[in-house]
Amino acid sequence: MAMIYSIGGGKGGVGKSFITGNLGVVFAKQGKKVILIDLDLGGSNLHTFLGIQNPEASLHDFLTKKIGNLSQAATPTGIPGLSIICSMNCSLEIANLFHAQKQKIIKAIQKLPYDYILLDLGAGTNFNTLDFFLTSNEGIFIFTPEPTSIETTLRFIKAVFYRRLKQILKERPFHPMLKEFSEKFGDSTISLSSILEFVAEHDQDKGQLLFAKLKEYTFRFILNEFRKHTNPKLGENIEKVCNRHFYSRFQYLGSVSYDERVHDSVFSRKIYVNKYPYTPTATEIQQIGRKMTEDHLGIDIIWQQLP
Amino acid sequence: MKRFEEFNFYEILEIPCNASTFQIREAYREALSIYSEDSLATYSLFTAEERHKILSRVEKAFNTLIDKKARDEYDKGLLSSGLIPEDQLERKDQKKPIPLFPRHDHTNDKAFLSKIRKRIEEEGERDLSGQIMAKEFISGNDLKRIRESLEVSLFDIYEVSRVSISTLEAIEGDQTENLPPDIYLVNFLKIYAELLQLDSKRIVDGYLKNIHSKNETQR
Repeated sequence: MAMIYSIGGGKGGVGKSFITGNLGVVFAKQGKKVILIDLDLGGSNLHTFLGIQNPEASLHDFLTKKIGNLSQAATPTGIPGLSIICSMNCSLEIANLFHAQKQKIIKAIQKLPYDYILLDLGAGTNFNTLDFFLTSNEGIFIFTPEPTSIETTLRFIKAVFYRRLKQILKERPFHPMLKEFSEKFGDSTISLSSILEFVAEHDQDKGQLLFAKLKEYTFRFILNEFRKHTNPKLGENIEKVCNRHFYSRFQYLGSVSYDERVHDSVFSRKIYVNKYPYTPTATEIQQIGRKMTEDHLGIDIIWQQLP
Repeated sequence: MKRFEEFNFYEILEIPCNASTFQIREAYREALSIYSEDSLATYSLFTAEERHKILSRVEKAFNTLIDKKARDEYDKGLLSSGLIPEDQLERKDQKKPIPLFPRHDHTNDKAFLSKIRKRIEEEGERDLSGQIMAKEFISGNDLKRIRESLEVSLFDIYEVSRVSISTLEAIEGDQTENLPPDIYLVNFLKIYAELLQLDSKRIVDGYLKNIHSKNETQR
């Protein structure tokens, strides 16, 4: 089964596409079959990191039914093992995707025949972004050590959480309770813990189910544009706080140092880890990639050992 | 997964139940750096009210655990509600700060004096001291014999009187060249005699006479 990673984070310009592209190259170099999907609909630019200007096919063809299968929309990147599905020539109104189209894309993504599927998401917390994020096996947040970025990332985490909570609540017979809840509190100022408390108070079994469901989720995060004067424990601290105050598992994957040459690589439209493979920044990305796949190998081995 | 409100004080500070004061202090500083208002890690994560609640809980955890009495009481509460197993609570002997000046413990004096009083009553050592007190010249050796008959060591005398052992040795050995000037010597002898429950005036007179006669013969 393909491993789907979605890469998001509330703020724009923190390096979501940069990390997605480079992680894709790292995985491909490990000999895996990797596909990148640009789901920053209406603001897509992932292809530019890889120096692709005129892809033969794109997400647009899939949505307009020009091609029947999403895997046909994949374009080779010139790097062995790495393909990309662009969304650059989609309609200008694509950002406001219809629900049915969204479901179609999500279903198609889950069927793609690749080892790793990396979803590059846009900024903001609109439903499309959140739902794409939640299709993945693992969500990865990218943020930079700035208050603005941390604020939006935490907001994004909360939004994902809330969306997930609502999904779970919709799947099960929670409706009467929810109705009562929205009557009591109104829709505007709901905090996560108040919902959980409310459910747990009204029905212990359902409360436990909710906690168990939320616990299944693992969120990972990467600290990008890490600079010298940044508190070296920032990542660990955020991991700790999230683990304590949200109800899912959070893992800090590591930091990626700030490097002026990233700028050069974007200008020359060559992917950074290939253009500057021996810089600290590239090494850190490789380490993060290894950490992600190793984790996985662990799970695979356990699976194989099972009768 | 436990919720933050359900954490006990040790869990809040993320320390083992047998943590030392040093660990508690470090953990407290760490917690403050994470939860304080200007912390980057939790920027915008909590509302002002939530943050206030968390910080006051951290504060309470620290104030309880750092105070030995309050901590013992808190531990008792945890134990009785079965929240932590007993064997986790065992604290290793903690290093205490070394005092800058060794402090004189007066409770020892009383014990020492009562010990000597008891000896004197028991063994009737007055014979020996009576003999010596009757002499005109009292030498250091005489003092030593009385002391030893009472089974008091030089160190005991030093402990109580704080007269250094080398001085005491000089006194008992009649080492005229090592003795302190008379004005101090008189006081030392007085203390020495009083500790051994002897007539201090007699001892001082006898001892000084003995020393002075010795000095004259040497000349």
